[in-house]
Amino acid sequence: MSQNNMLAMILAGGRGSRLKDLTNKVAKPAVSFGGKYRIIDFPLSNCANSHIDIVGVLTQYESVLLNSYVAGGGRWGLDTRDSGVFVLPPREKADTGLDVYRGTADAISQNIDFVDSYNPEYILVLSGDHIYKMNYEEMLQYHKDQNADLTVAVRPVPWKEAPRFGIMNTDDEGRITEFQEKPKEPKSNLASMGIYIFTWKTLRKALVADMKNPDSSHDFGNDVIPAFLNEGKKLVAYRFEGYWKDVGTIDSLWEANMDLLDSKNELNLNDPGWKIYTEDASALPQYIGPDASVDVAYITQGAHVEGSVKKSVLFTGSYIGKGAKVIDSVLMPGARVEDGAVVTRALVANNVKIGKNCVVGSADSENITLVAKNVKGDD
Amino acid sequence: MANAFGIVAPSKRNIHVEGMQDYRPLAAFSFLGRYRIIDFPISCMSNSGIDHIQVYVTSNPRSLAEHLGSGRHYNINSKHGKLQLLFSTASSENDIYNTDVRSYMDNIEIIQRMNQEYVVIAPSYMVFAQDYDALLNDHIESGADISLLYQRVDNAKEHYLDCDVLTLNKQKGVLSIEPNLGTANNKTIFMDTYVMKKDLFITLVKEASKISSMYTLSQIISEKFNELDVRGIQHKGFCAAITDLKSYFDANLELIKPEQADQLFNGDAPIYTRTTDSCPTKYCDGAVVRNSLISNGCTIKGTVENSVIGRGVNINEGAVVRNCVILAYSDIGKNVELENQVIDKWAKIGHEAKLIADADKPGYIKRNDVL
Repeated sequence: MSQNNMLAMILAGGRGSRLKDLTNKVAKPAVSFGGKYRIIDFPLSNCANSHIDIVGVLTQYESVLLNSYVAGGGRWGLDTRDSGVFVLPPREKADTGLDVYRGTADAISQNIDFVDSYNPEYILVLSGDHIYKMNYEEMLQYHKDQNADLTVAVRPVPWKEAPRFGIMNTDDEGRITEFQEKPKEPKSNLASMGIYIFTWKTLRKALVADMKNPDSSHDFGNDVIPAFLNEGKKLVAYRFEGYWKDVGTIDSLWEANMDLLDSKNELNLNDPGWKIYTEDASALPQYIGPDASVDVAYITQGAHVEGSVKKSVLFTGSYIGKGAKVIDSVLMPGARVEDGAVVTRALVANNVKIGKNCVVGSADSENITLVAKNVKGDD
Repeated sequence: MANAFGIVAPSKRNIHVEGMQDYRPLAAFSFLGRYRIIDFPISCMSNSGIDHIQVYVTSNPRSLAEHLGSGRHYNINSKHGKLQLLFSTASSENDIYNTDVRSYMDNIEIIQRMNQEYVVIAPSYMVFAQDYDALLNDHIESGADISLLYQRVDNAKEHYLDCDVLTLNKQKGVLSIEPNLGTANNKTIFMDTYVMKKDLFITLVKEASKISSMYTLSQIISEKFNELDVRGIQHKGFCAAITDLKSYFDANLELIKPEQADQLFNGDAPIYTRTTDSCPTKYCDGAVVRNSLISNGCTIKGTVENSVIGRGVNINEGAVVRNCVILAYSDIGKNVELENQVIDKWAKIGHEAKLIADADKPGYIKRNDVL
């Protein structure tokens, strides 16, 4: 806590069931993204780059892989004497039984002891399933300058889409006057990004009260924020203009990967001043064979290409055989497309093998085809 | 855990790679895009259960010290393992005094304090994969005093010219260690890799330093064939000696071939290196890439053929790169044409430059150079 007196809690509890088979065995934050990353690398790297020392990761679904992945925090430089990443699944305590996290706020409530042990002045609450780069330290400065109890990061969305989001209505000075969850007739187009900075003392009191409230669903959006507004606390909106993407569905996960191919993409992962850190695979540089063709692609080390690739993202250890074609697709780590197979508008899950001469996906499908099981071919 | 500690020997004094070596010791040379030459001996030792490793360096230690760090990326245990960087100041008088024996003598107390019974010594100018645990076991089983690793090659007339060759008798006993004079193609190349007991090693080093300040470890061993049982153990698989720019260039390009690379890189014994957390590589509209190894963090808009490209390299529109080894963070400008070149780190080639060299004599562009 030596750097800025703010502790971060990442809400990573959701199963992410809309990601279907991708989250059968791993929690959503551990899902692979962008060739070499996992989704949770983004909030964790943002924390590390924003000089936050202590990060709690709140999880309850399939946390084994996530736990071993973040343990130690060394991958993000969160491993100095005063820093660390801690996975916090629900646990039994001396005065309470073992219970699941009943809501986003409850996940923090059940870890008040953890937060207290670091005695932070501020607490940053994040969700673990968004792709973006953001300097939380600047947001904290805004929170301090505004002398706020709660600062909510917001971004303008097209008016047409506003009914899909939690919308923050603000006055001229950016003070939040009203919060509407998925309003039919939105009064503002500022959508909450699910990124909150609270002054810990204030939040702590509110959480203790929320735990005792039998009518509460123990959720930040439904309960805690409305309560803050009712009590006249100072809530301010912090505008964020950069790239931000919720990757909660197969289509949006695919889209976010495809965004990396766009030369005008705002999410610059090649910025030495704001690196996204991740595990390092011991793999050779990517091999592009003598008869291969690579036409607009994002490829990471350990990939092996003999066939042709068009507008696709290839993850670590993925393989494209001779004469195979991969078009508008995402090959997750270890995915194999054998000789002669054709993959179009598909997302091929980790270690899945598409057999010889198979055809998967189609150029005019409405949704992206998720291939989560081996497809048997002519081999 | 192997009952041996490892030594990665200092650069051999008769080896000099034009240009590149002015900036870093051979051990720290970038290799195959994302590696450095020293990653090979250290990873193999670590994979073989050797977790006390000494790396000897005589000049320009900066890049090596930075790259090795605590050794954590080599999977060396931070509590019961150790990766040491040992310095020995090079003699300014004459390079002939800068022997391996001198480096060992400068650090003899540290060597004496090692707890392991055996020592495995590997060179820092060769690229090969070796299971050192198996080598140590072979050595112990044979009952020999010293075992030397060798490779049979069929191209020694033009390659391995700065290496030594072994003459072996039928029982694999070593009869001589002599420079490769390029007299024949079929030779038994000494891979500068030794296994022996630590105590014997110390005795030999001390004795060598008493006889002459120009003596090397292989020279003192050569004097002992009558007293000691010195045997050869054969290595099979890829082995490259980096002794000049041409051999550096050749070894990189040779390893583009998956069947060659497979001999060095196998899943069970990975080669580790320090990550720089660079993002994947972007292939833009108009990129044409064939038969190449490309590291992460590059942006490719031009043509790349038969080349090894380091991290964070930009290949701009219309540029054509053929048979080249391009080190990290170089920028190849629009319509530049490169053939048979080694481009050192951070170089910037612009102005539609055309640099074409012969494959037998690759060109070299200095670090940070702007053309």
